[in-house]
Amino acid sequence: MWDQVGQALRLSMTKMLSQLASLLPGIVALLTALVISVAFAWALAAILRRSLKRFDFDRRVAHWGFPAMAEWSPASSPTLLLTRAIAWIIVFMGFLIGISAFDGALPSQFVIRLFAYLPDLMTAIVVFVAGSIVARFLARSVLIGAVNMNLQYARLLSVGVKWLVTVLAVTIALERLGIGGGIIRLAFGILFGGIVLALALAVGLGSKELVSRSLERETSKASGSNVKEPVGHL
Amino acid sequence: MELDAIPQPELEQIERIGGADLVIGILGDARSADEGTALTLTREALAELSKPLRAMVVCNNGTHSPAAVSPEVPGDKQSPAIFSCSLPPPAPGETPQHGISNAYRTVFAVGGKLGVRACCLIASRSQTAAPGWIHRLIQPVLDLGFDLVAPCYTRQKMEGLLNRSVLAPLHGALYGQRLQNPMGPDFGLSGKLLQRILVQDSRGRRGAERSLLASIASAAACDGFQVCESQLGVRQQSPTDWDNLSSLLAEILGAAFLEMEGRAAHWQSIRGSQTLPRLGHPEVPSPENPTPVDVKGMLQSFRLGAQNLQDVWGLILPPTSLLELRRLSRLTDDQFRLPDQLWVRIIYDFALAHRLQTISRDHLLRSLTPLYLGWIASYALEMQAAGLTEVDSRIGLLSKAYEDNKSYLVSRWRWPDRFNP
Repeated sequence: MWDQVGQALRLSMTKMLSQLASLLPGIVALLTALVISVAFAWALAAILRRSLKRFDFDRRVAHWGFPAMAEWSPASSPTLLLTRAIAWIIVFMGFLIGISAFDGALPSQFVIRLFAYLPDLMTAIVVFVAGSIVARFLARSVLIGAVNMNLQYARLLSVGVKWLVTVLAVTIALERLGIGGGIIRLAFGILFGGIVLALALAVGLGSKELVSRSLERETSKASGSNVKEPVGHL
Repeated sequence: MELDAIPQPELEQIERIGGADLVIGILGDARSADEGTALTLTREALAELSKPLRAMVVCNNGTHSPAAVSPEVPGDKQSPAIFSCSLPPPAPGETPQHGISNAYRTVFAVGGKLGVRACCLIASRSQTAAPGWIHRLIQPVLDLGFDLVAPCYTRQKMEGLLNRSVLAPLHGALYGQRLQNPMGPDFGLSGKLLQRILVQDSRGRRGAERSLLASIASAAACDGFQVCESQLGVRQQSPTDWDNLSSLLAEILGAAFLEMEGRAAHWQSIRGSQTLPRLGHPEVPSPENPTPVDVKGMLQSFRLGAQNLQDVWGLILPPTSLLELRRLSRLTDDQFRLPDQLWVRIIYDFALAHRLQTISRDHLLRSLTPLYLGWIASYALEMQAAGLTEVDSRIGLLSKAYEDNKSYLVSRWRWPDRFNP
């Protein structure tokens, strides 16, 4: 009986060791992929950091209309934020490549699904970034235009336009990612409607001043039509 | 040479004419610059000259009608020969300043093709442009050897404010020549200067972007041409469109800043400025306009700008200027004065930001509107009881401030990041 027990133990140990031995190449491949990706990420991040510093990226980001980006960034530097994000993406990609080296069905399926999701993720990121840029540009246009038209609600109008475009961009991005579904659409409808109502009120109240000023000017012109405009610019 | 600027029928007619002594552009608005008026003005102007000349008149009558010829009597060498053609209608959506710049380009191209000795541009409304204007702009070129005759108008104290506050003192500080109206729009040019401008315009990489309106006086100053001013009298201006003031500022200052950028290598070494010969006698201005200036509205715009545009101005102006503007926005109407040094530095910082494209150029130039209104309000309050002589000396002080602060501009222009007070 002891022989049989010993044999069973030997068999299970052999089986376990052989299974471990079959996993070993995968583990080594995972470690190798991780080491290479970390090294590559570090090198790329260093090159990118140097290039962006030469390009004066931190200052330009603020000038492009993203001063808030510095607040989210480590050491208040968008350069560091960007290089670290890229480095971690590369390390994550290396990890995925390492995992796929295991021949197991589950990790492979996970990797395939993850890669299939990447185009949607990229599209969502592009939509979000483009939406943010457009939102800031339009907000600035509206702010300057409204101030030049002497509208007291200039800032409210500008913020409203910014959020209108941002909400639209975020909704499109989330829909692309397949997150939320109906709730997102409903929330978008409510938010969009709310912002449009707020803007309509701001435009209406602002226009009241504009119209009264315009009427005043017309009245003064009509009452003294032969009186020359006192101010000339050129 | 920009022959593309000349429409085909005109080109054929110019080739038939062969050569002329003068080209005269009557470029006021299409309704007023009819061909009959243009030809009458030219005939009267040429009659005053010592020698009979052949002249081509290019007028902006908006019809693009076939060219007319005032026939040359065979054997009659005493009467001037006048030919005329019209400009093509303006492109849809073309702004007035852009239209004038394109019209200049066509007139220059016609002049270049005809090999003229002098060119006259009248872009003010032709009802106000007296026949004497053509003579006063051409005679110094033909008889006294000047290459550029810039206009000098008789103005009330609240007229020509963009010229007084920015264009004239900036031109003086940059190019070292004090002109009342560096951007005309009425000019007399020699054939030599015309050819130089044509070459620069066609050679310049950004020729299409740069406005000829802004480059005439600077080209003459930078290339060592002889410049003078001629007293033209009162110029009737279009009423101010207050709702589109920011568009006017963007167009005029955009052209001036672009020209400044293109000639940076030249103006950085110039220090001080000189007074130029001013020909003719100044007309006595009519009594002051009794309509009061709406200073309250302007100050309201300035305060609204100071309250809302800090984020935008913060990208353009240094912190000291921002602080000063914030302090000014808290002053009462009577106390409000925009110091010359602050105003000059604001203009220099905007010119620098325009060059660096810190933000969209259109946003940048339009965001200057509340500051410009602040300057007008300050000037109006300061000059409300002043006579024209006091106004002139006040503007002289402003010009001096532009010259004194030029080192600030040069430092920031060369080292925008390192030199940031």
